[in-house]
Amino acid sequence: MSEPAPTDRGAWLLVARRDFRVRLRDKGFAISTAITLSVLSAFILIRAYAGGGTPSYELGVVGAASAGAPAAALARQQGIDLTVRAFPDEAAGRGALSDGDIDALLEGERLIGQRDVPAELTDVVQAAAVAERIRAALDEAGLPPDRLAQALDPRPVRVGTVEPPDPNRDSNAAVAFIGVILLYGQLFGYGVWVATGVIEEKASRVVEILLSAISPRQLLAGKVVGIGTLGIVQLAFIAAFAIGLSMLTGALSIPASAVGAAALVLAWFVLGFAFYAGLFAVSGALVSRMEELQNAMVPINIVILVSFFISVGALQDPDAPVVVIASLLPFSAALAMPVRIVLGAATAPQIAASVIILVSSTLLLIPLAGRIYAGAVLRTGARVRLRDAWRAAG
Amino acid sequence: MLELIDLHRRFDDVVALDGVTFTVPEGTIVGFVGANGAGKTTAMRIALGVLAADSGEVRWNGRPVDAAARRRFGYMPEERGLYPKMKVHDQLVYLARLHGLARADAERRADEISETLGVQGRAGDRVETLSLGNQQRVQLAAALVHEPEMLVLDEPFSGLDPVGVDALAGVLRRQSENHGVPVVFSSHQLDLVERICDAVVLIDRGRVMAAGTIDELRAARARRLVRVEVAGADGEWFASLPGARLDATVPGGVVLELADDLDEQRVLDLARGSGDVTHFSRVRPTLAELFREVVQT
Repeated sequence: MSEPAPTDRGAWLLVARRDFRVRLRDKGFAISTAITLSVLSAFILIRAYAGGGTPSYELGVVGAASAGAPAAALARQQGIDLTVRAFPDEAAGRGALSDGDIDALLEGERLIGQRDVPAELTDVVQAAAVAERIRAALDEAGLPPDRLAQALDPRPVRVGTVEPPDPNRDSNAAVAFIGVILLYGQLFGYGVWVATGVIEEKASRVVEILLSAISPRQLLAGKVVGIGTLGIVQLAFIAAFAIGLSMLTGALSIPASAVGAAALVLAWFVLGFAFYAGLFAVSGALVSRMEELQNAMVPINIVILVSFFISVGALQDPDAPVVVIASLLPFSAALAMPVRIVLGAATAPQIAASVIILVSSTLLLIPLAGRIYAGAVLRTGARVRLRDAWRAAG
Repeated sequence: MLELIDLHRRFDDVVALDGVTFTVPEGTIVGFVGANGAGKTTAMRIALGVLAADSGEVRWNGRPVDAAARRRFGYMPEERGLYPKMKVHDQLVYLARLHGLARADAERRADEISETLGVQGRAGDRVETLSLGNQQRVQLAAALVHEPEMLVLDEPFSGLDPVGVDALAGVLRRQSENHGVPVVFSSHQLDLVERICDAVVLIDRGRVMAAGTIDELRAARARRLVRVEVAGADGEWFASLPGARLDATVPGGVVLELADDLDEQRVLDLARGSGDVTHFSRVRPTLAELFREVVQT
């Protein structure tokens, strides 16, 4: 017989390895990964092929193509891709319209669509017609050509920004949106896994055998590390998949920034999970059956859900006071701060403060959670009150 | 040698242990006997370190028990527990490793103990698919897989059929005789305890009422009783004998309680003078009777 190691230091590693493997082989893991990947793929593909890009229209005109020239010129100025196709008579034009070859048909002063006319196309054609009438009127009134051109400048107001515009803002918002949804799903899902893992051991009573070999803190640490590591691995896999798919389809303009955002999401998952895992473990330890877990988790659920909604709101206004506060509080920082960072709204001192607050509250929370867990995990039957669990472990 | 020294433990208003002291010497099997709620499980949990005592001490080989010593204990809790979805072999290896064995040793021991307990054919099965009897065997394997230096078993015989009882008794006997492992187990089945144990500890309401070998308990606790059956004598033949008192009437005779200074041979002489003695014996109280007597006082 070999001599056992003198302490149980390192037992957490055995626990972590078991929890990691058991859940890696769990059907729920495969299903959740598949669902996440397919939702993400749909999002990326829609973005790549449906949304974005310059709109393009085909405008049919009856008679000479020159009838559509003013609209085409105006469209070009506005960055709209407009092609004019001439038809010898109305019947030919209507035929093309019903075949879907053209988006609308201009017959003299009438613009006709099959079922509707795209609003943007209408605006361009209308504006071009107005400009033509004004040009004709002013020309008739004898206005010199240079004054005429000046009066008819379609963009007399110059548009600018105080700060240089971020060319990737749209792309970043998309990344931040995906990131916050992933973070929310991952923090919540893996937190619940910690809680159910605790209950499994409690309900099957195996926990008493485990605790005769190793300390509650080793068991808790191993469980959190094992499940958290699986969360990181899954998240990294999903991020790599998403970035790869985006690059293939051209949905994201700047892959480098997406890689940075993925690293950011991973880092904040680690911070957030470390904070929440202890709370989830405690809620699992306080009850004895899966059915009771929902109730025990309600407070944590609400906190995470509110943080999530604030963070989604941050996509619109990352500098709103409630968002800034949420990005600093430990309960919500893991969701709100990464959004603000990706959108470029967070200042360096804010990021530093957020990380310091989150890490130090986690360090405060771990021994508290460990003590309550140790005091509650061997108690079966009725739900254990926090105060009793605290004293039992004293 | 395991020593429990003056253990106290309360749960809110309930005093579970009120100064529990006893020892489990090397190579002996100690039966831990008491009514429900007497404090057996609490004492065992404290010995294993899964529960803390309010005061008192647990010593192993003369030194206070620490985590390292406890990892060499084997434990079977009253509430049986294993991972239901984990395979038997994986589970035993995992538990052995938590107790500090290296991977290769854990693998080897898991195979050995499975064979010893007759569950080697189930190594690849999940625990939840096993019959209750086999689950019980795996549970025992979990307590033994790391070759413990000390065994603490809470109601190990409950739920076993007579064959299982004999098998488990044999395993405990071998652990104790061949490996010198001290064994302590609790049980309600007092006849079983009497048959298997070298010594017993009687606990009642958190206090140890008696401890020692069963003969010692008899000597210390039991009254001196003789059963006499005399054919042809009247029912009061012993009335003239000072120090003899009728304890009970039994079919064909009586049970007499003898005073300390009354020689049983004098009782026999008188009986033979009264008629034909068909039966004369010392009444050895069973453990159950001793237990009842101790708990009532």
